[in-house]
Amino acid sequence: MGDRAIIGQYWPAESLVHAMDPRVKFLLSLGLMAAVFCAATPASLAVAALFVAAFYAASRIPLLQAVRALAPLLVLVVLTALLNVLFVQGGTVYFEFGIICISEKGIQSAAFIGCRLLLLLMGMSLLTLTTTTLDITAAFERLLAPAARIGVPAHELGMILGIALRFLPQFMTELGVIYRAQVSRGAHFNVNPFKGGVSTLTALMVPLFASAFRHAETLSAAMEARCYHGGAGRTRLVPLRLTWRDGVGTAAVLAMAAAIIIVNFL
Amino acid sequence: MRLAFDDVSYSYDGAKAAEKKGRRGKGAQREAAWGNAPDAAWALRNVTFAVEPGEFFGVAGHTGSGKSTLIQHMNGLVHPTCGRVTADGEDLAEKGVGARVRQRVGLVFQYPENQLFAATVYDDVAFGPRNMKLGADEVDRRVREAMALVGLSFDDLAERSPFDLSGGQQRRVAFAGVLAMEPEMLVLDEPVAGLDPLSRTDFLALIASFHTRGMTVVMVSHSMEDLAALADRILVLSEGRVFALGTPEEVFADGAGLRSVGLGAPAPEAFAASLREAGFSLPAALYDEATLAADIAAQLGAAGEQGGEGRG
Repeated sequence: MGDRAIIGQYWPAESLVHAMDPRVKFLLSLGLMAAVFCAATPASLAVAALFVAAFYAASRIPLLQAVRALAPLLVLVVLTALLNVLFVQGGTVYFEFGIICISEKGIQSAAFIGCRLLLLLMGMSLLTLTTTTLDITAAFERLLAPAARIGVPAHELGMILGIALRFLPQFMTELGVIYRAQVSRGAHFNVNPFKGGVSTLTALMVPLFASAFRHAETLSAAMEARCYHGGAGRTRLVPLRLTWRDGVGTAAVLAMAAAIIIVNFL
Repeated sequence: MRLAFDDVSYSYDGAKAAEKKGRRGKGAQREAAWGNAPDAAWALRNVTFAVEPGEFFGVAGHTGSGKSTLIQHMNGLVHPTCGRVTADGEDLAEKGVGARVRQRVGLVFQYPENQLFAATVYDDVAFGPRNMKLGADEVDRRVREAMALVGLSFDDLAERSPFDLSGGQQRRVAFAGVLAMEPEMLVLDEPVAGLDPLSRTDFLALIASFHTRGMTVVMVSHSMEDLAALADRILVLSEGRVFALGTPEEVFADGAGLRSVGLGAPAPEAFAASLREAGFSLPAALYDEATLAADIAAQLGAAGEQGGEGRG
């Protein structure tokens, strides 16, 4: 409990993709997803897959790590594919039993939608695999900056996102400790969740919330002690700067979109 | 209850690591397997020892040496990847044994006040006994007894919220919550961490009193002074291995060895060692402040008399 990799957890490495500006990566990953959505034929989807594979190669993320990051989401892919097999009908019927009918079109559409979903997820996790949460929140904040003019608290939203992400693993660990402590006192958490389950759950949730409030108080005191006063006039130790890598990345994603659209018409 | 660790190894990678170890671990290759599996995080490696009934057993080790993992084996919260832990001969990994042993081995985690949750002190202390499905009268008796044991006034505090109490009192409530299960063995992970010096002394006296009442006590600490003063035997862990196991006298005799694993002998013992190097004759095996002061005074007194005679 607690030690499992979180979906798309940052994988430190030195690569072209890692060194890109997080703002550009953020936008490009959106662009990449849009491009994958444009793929309408198996051939263009194959082109998209080639590009995604190339991006992963450029990011120097071990294949195993990429798969592990995606593993919790594969259920989603499999489920979507299954639904397609069952509900899309047409063409040769391979198997029929009661209301279950597996046909040629169903299998085709399951394979197509499954692959497309997988590519989308891979595109998304490439961002989180190659970018620290700190950089992602910074990018998020910068990209929201124009909205700050019309009163959107961009800096605060970024800060909230950053703190939430930072404390997720912390609370996972603490929940594990509290769980073991209460089990040591004879608590049963897995016997019958419907009978008396709520009362034993309080033994987990109350200490966890108490600890969350304690962390919030300590953190706000620590931030004030370091003269934190919101985003105005705040500088960065490592300012975000565009480099040639960002140009290369943008060109690659544009090339991918173009290739997909061209192959669509072939 | 006799709690025995028999060649216990534990990896957070669980079964996968066990497989790896099983494959590589045949014959002479066994020891080398540790080095060959760098991605398998071995928290414990071939740990063998037993806690005898009624003893005060100290566990020491540097941060990350496997102390906390070790004590979670003691009531079956985690099971060894290899080897086995037995309570009076019963394997804790067997079905149902762990749950039974948990009523006989009370485990107090580090900063136990962070696990309080109930609306009143009474309900929190009663959590364990109620989980044991005891009758209301028996639960009431145990709560009163446990609160008395840790020095909390039942009449003043039972109906208060545990969150309104001071840190020291909260920790006493958490102790009472474990004691109310009336365990034969009490396992404490850094019980005095984060306390001020005065509360520290109080808590150590409290723990010593549990031991004199006949409870087996296992205490994890990185304060060598506390362990030297209280423990009958001390186990020193280093990188998940048993580095030393014996009486405080035996364990602290090897000051250089202890320093090499990031620990030091207790202050009086370390001071005695450097005095010995400077030519003092200090014969006792283990010193505390009082005995060391007495022996130094005797030596200085003798030296002073000799000096006086020389001049005269």
